[in-house]
Amino acid sequence: MTQQKVAIIGAGPAGLQSAISLAEMGFLVQLFEKEKQPGGHLAHWHVLFPDRQPANEVLDALMISAMNPNISLITGAEISAIEPSGRKWQLKKAETLICEVDAVLLASGFKLFDAAQKEEYGYGIYPAVVTSSELEALFMHQKPWPFNENLESPKIGLVHCVGSRDAKCGNLYCSKVCCVTAVKQAIELKKTFPAAQVYSFYMDMRMFGLGYEELYHQAQMEYRVQFIRGRLSEASPADGQRIQVKAEDTLMGRPLKLTLDMLVLMVGMTPSVVLGNGSASVELKKPMFADGFVKMPGQALDDSRLQKPGLFVAGACKGPVTLPDVVKDAKATALDICNYLTEVL
Amino acid sequence: MSVRDFGYSVSDQRAVDLDRKMPDELERVYLQEPSLRNCIACGNCAALCSAGSFTGFQFYRLNVLVSRGLLSELAKKAEACMLCGKCQMACPRGVNIRHGIMLMAQL
Ligand code: SF4
Ligand code: SF4
Ligand code: SF4
Repeated sequence: MTQQKVAIIGAGPAGLQSAISLAEMGFLVQLFEKEKQPGGHLAHWHVLFPDRQPANEVLDALMISAMNPNISLITGAEISAIEPSGRKWQLKKAETLICEVDAVLLASGFKLFDAAQKEEYGYGIYPAVVTSSELEALFMHQKPWPFNENLESPKIGLVHCVGSRDAKCGNLYCSKVCCVTAVKQAIELKKTFPAAQVYSFYMDMRMFGLGYEELYHQAQMEYRVQFIRGRLSEASPADGQRIQVKAEDTLMGRPLKLTLDMLVLMVGMTPSVVLGNGSASVELKKPMFADGFVKMPGQALDDSRLQKPGLFVAGACKGPVTLPDVVKDAKATALDICNYLTEVL
Repeated sequence: MSVRDFGYSVSDQRAVDLDRKMPDELERVYLQEPSLRNCIACGNCAALCSAGSFTGFQFYRLNVLVSRGLLSELAKKAEACMLCGKCQMACPRGVNIRHGIMLMAQL
């Protein structure tokens, strides 16, 4: 009997974990990653909420398990279409055939919202305005702080819901992880600059996971982060590189202004790919305004299979999700794929 | 002729200006009752406050004034509380409301 083959598109946490599970079940896995390095967004993160576990610890563990003779990782490989060929599937890049497999798993994850679209916050114009993902790079000393590090008490603001819950951006959904990320980053900022004044501008604090509300509590009591309910309306230049922000303080029912040394935009998750509705083949297309995530037909009881037998989806390409949930989804989807392959044999 | 403002600038009389330094008196209130920082403005304290039924007293609004560094009306407003402690039995974040109000009333 020849070993059955599975192709996985995307080598972030979802792709890596499903590859590991499938390889351990004895299937041959070809894992395609469009970037030069595997790991997805995890590779660019400093520490994880809620326990502040180093992100590289998690990624290293995944990479070690992925060193399995059944897995071949192919980086720098972008797939543009999946086409049927009998009971098998072919992965294509433009017109070129890349491989033929028995099942395909789409695990292409999410893209961060492009903060420059939210022009009123001045991202890309004022150097002191950074994204939450750039803040992680700052924590890892991969670039310099956009203010004088010797400032006695830098003032730093975090804006929630940038590109999420916003019809103007085409995204009505909540990105789910950014509230707790903001709380985690506020604490990290206070640990880096103990005398800093940190403000968080929120609409709702969505602390849904175990340990999240506790972290919020800790940010208030131990780290004295100020939480202000109100969506930031705009940022404008103040003296030097500083930023003046304006918001409605909705608990006061009055406008509020504040000058900051750094403004952090909590950018939301957006889809990385849209599936073209071809008759037999599936095209992987670039998302346009308000396209949304990959919609699963099975909903609550089956959210890993597309309507075409042999095509599966796991992880954040289906919508905003936390890392532990991605890992669980990847394991469950690997089992669905195993069941499918055993049936078709 | 004055320039008409269509709301694109911050009106200075009404704006909460967080660039102003927190008054020392209020820093002391926090030192003496740190649990005030723990409020999430859920409003439970105001919903069940008996004094509130007659006077419109809302503790969490007072607490927002403290956190925004706005001292002037605090003491007068705090007088409406009759220190019955009902709010404190219900507060989900365990804020020591009565002690907070006592401190505010003394400002
Ligand atoms: S998780 Fe919080 S910050 Fe993120 S979109 Fe939802 S409400 Fe906004
Ligand atoms: S009940 Fe407690 S948490 Fe809720 S608003 Fe009042 S003081 Fe704040
Ligand atoms: S202690 Fe004061 S604020 Fe609390 S319920 Fe009684 S009167 Fe209202």
